[in-house]
Amino acid sequence: MKKDLLALGFIVLAIALILSGTKFQTVDEYYMTHIDDITPDSKTVTISIRCDTILDNWNDLVPELQSDEFVPQDGVILPETAYVLREGDTAFDITDRAVRYNKIQMEYQGANMNSYGSVYIQGIHYLYEFSCGPLSGWMYRVNGVFPNYGCSKYELKDGDIIEWVYTCDLGRDVGCIWMGGEWEEE
Amino acid sequence: MKQFIKKTVAALLCTVMVGTVMPLPVHAAANKIYSIAELEQTIKGIINWKKLDNGSTLEGPLINDAYLELAGTTPGDWYQVGMGRFGYSDDYAGYLAVIREKVQDRYKTSVKLSAAKATEWQRISLAILASGGDPTKAGVDANGNNINLIADGTYNRGKTTSLGKQGINGWIWGLIALDSKRYPVPEGAHDSRDSIIEEIIRQQLTDGGFALYGNVSDPDITAMAVQSLAPYYNSEKEYTYKNKTTGKTVTKKIRQVIDESVNCLSKMQLNSGDYNSWGTKNVESTAQVAVALCSLGIDIQTDGRFIKNGNSLLNGIMLYRMEDGGFVHSYTYDQDNPTSLPTESNTMASEQTLYTLTAIWRQAKGMRTLYDFRPEQSPGLKNQINALKKEINNLGNTPTTAKIAELMKKYEAIPESEQCYVFNYYKLSKAAENGGIEIKEESVETAAKEEAEKEEEEEESVLLYFTDTDKRKVKALPKDLTTEQYVDVIKLIDKLEKSEDFDKKKEYMDQLLNAKKEILDIQKEIDNINKDVKEKLYPFEKISLSDWSVVHSIVNRYKKLSPYDQKKILRWDDVVKTETQVDNLVRAVVITIVLGLLSIVAAVFVIKHIKKRKNRKLNEMLALEKEYEEKEKKEGKGA
Repeated sequence: MKKDLLALGFIVLAIALILSGTKFQTVDEYYMTHIDDITPDSKTVTISIRCDTILDNWNDLVPELQSDEFVPQDGVILPETAYVLREGDTAFDITDRAVRYNKIQMEYQGANMNSYGSVYIQGIHYLYEFSCGPLSGWMYRVNGVFPNYGCSKYELKDGDIIEWVYTCDLGRDVGCIWMGGEWEEE
Repeated sequence: MKQFIKKTVAALLCTVMVGTVMPLPVHAAANKIYSIAELEQTIKGIINWKKLDNGSTLEGPLINDAYLELAGTTPGDWYQVGMGRFGYSDDYAGYLAVIREKVQDRYKTSVKLSAAKATEWQRISLAILASGGDPTKAGVDANGNNINLIADGTYNRGKTTSLGKQGINGWIWGLIALDSKRYPVPEGAHDSRDSIIEEIIRQQLTDGGFALYGNVSDPDITAMAVQSLAPYYNSEKEYTYKNKTTGKTVTKKIRQVIDESVNCLSKMQLNSGDYNSWGTKNVESTAQVAVALCSLGIDIQTDGRFIKNGNSLLNGIMLYRMEDGGFVHSYTYDQDNPTSLPTESNTMASEQTLYTLTAIWRQAKGMRTLYDFRPEQSPGLKNQINALKKEINNLGNTPTTAKIAELMKKYEAIPESEQCYVFNYYKLSKAAENGGIEIKEESVETAAKEEAEKEEEEEESVLLYFTDTDKRKVKALPKDLTTEQYVDVIKLIDKLEKSEDFDKKKEYMDQLLNAKKEILDIQKEIDNINKDVKEKLYPFEKISLSDWSVVHSIVNRYKKLSPYDQKKILRWDDVVKTETQVDNLVRAVVITIVLGLLSIVAAVFVIKHIKKRKNRKLNEMLALEKEYEEKEKKEGKGA
């Protein structure tokens, strides 16, 4: 009788385990596979990618790209999306993660391939620098400010808001204010 | 370079992002005139700094494997221009071998070198010329046709997309590349010299200079425009065109445009001798102005227009020299840039200073200007030009008509393609104009045609010797190749092709070509793995059991790569994460199955056990019954 009860208990347990779908993971594995899960304790940043300015400069856009396949009608390539901030993440890391997770095409020049020592984003969603006139290309801002150095040099902190915006006018059309007045010689 | 725009001017050369705290100026004394020896010392200082920066040694080449990996990019092309024009010996053959491969490779894509940037063709052309190569024979495309970077990057660029697609610098550097050897523009070309010149000068701003954008002139772009127009300073041709900014139609000679630009540059110079661009005092802007003035034959160390408060342009440049021999971009510390390293020599500042000092050095030595790559003038021609320049300077205020006519004749006796070196011709032209003497107007294309008519340079077919060291290098190639050996293999193939015959040459060639093929296959595999990771694994939420084989095949392919090549797989940690994810899924399934099986076994056991017990009880009962019956029988008998 005792043996039977033991066996029956085991069966119940096994069925319960199977039904509950418990995963058998080590602690390390758990952390690795849940690194991007947003929890109340997570540090996060948000990123968005937009190309609204092209809609106002449609005629300057190279003809092959004049389609909502490349330029969404609302100009939004990636709506504001939150990602977990991993240790040491730069604006480039988050950008690369976001486009990979969302399967958005992106092409960039590695940090050693230009004289700036930073990754340079050449094209996103098939829209490249100069695709919409000689003053066009991608710029990024963090918390509303345009940094003047490359995205792979910008280390992020909790709560940062990263926005990639396409400019058709060397920044003026996306509110890059330092372009205008700060010119005078000392 | 929109992401660096604050301090960036031209996409091709432009300035940099790294701000700095207090550099250590080595030569800061004002009013100092630099000797040729001092220039040479400074130039060598930059080269030595870059060698160490590259991971090379002072005795080794600057153009080492690490540098050659960047061939065909801005930081991989400009040092040759400075060093080559300075006559510094280095591994130019290595560069030519590698850039040929890279150009051929990039020509396989639909956009060739770039969709928008003609400056890619132009910069590579100049780097090839400076390395002793021929940009009109830069390789062979997929159809077996010759690759002519000058044609594709200048007069025929417009057949694909406008030279000015990226802005004015496409036109400017197009003209510089076209005039590097005074290449003639053939019939049927999309652009002519005149059309390129007009595109540049019509973008002149009202203050006389030029800019990438806006109405305020920028020193870099103004200087580059002057560099491109300089060969036409003596041209008497008048251009009538509509100015892009004012919309007004004007008629100007190039001389007038340049004079206005030079005037504008003079006004922009700071009291410290250097320049401000986009709000930052920096060495690159100063360097570009110096190159522009040298291209006009102006002595930057003595010309009063470019000495401010006792500081010449060269004094201004030297302010940025660091103790390690390199140059720093700017003094201005950039508070916005917490990760930039202050007080460090910078590769772009150094490369631009290198070729600028070379331009100044060439001027001091009486050599051709920086971007004039034609063979040096003969001593006879130099004397002829110098004698004329002296006579023009001695003309005085009221020269006789006969004297003017005499000097004009002497000027015309100089080959047209060399007349631009009579830097003070403008004085003669003015005197002629004042004296009512008619001046002949030539087409800007004539000089190039004249140049082309000169006997075609003999095809360079130097026979090299494939040395024992080279042979040892071939033998030392590892059995398991990696992309790390790419540069070496390409260089060896190039040398072997050009070397004289020897025993086993073919064996060496076969081995090298196999090695090249193997390395290219590895590169292809790296590209494919990167592509598969991107396309098949993201986003991970959808990773399921059915992806197990995909993930593991990628992991297995990765494991087959050498550690050097594994580093070229991007975001590998994401793949490791995915692998763990699917393995966990598999483990869950296995555990479920095992648990299920165990439950069944347990259940069977329990059922059997119960049955057995039942049977036993039944048997016991039966036995008991029997016993009872027998007992009864016995008792019955007894009764």
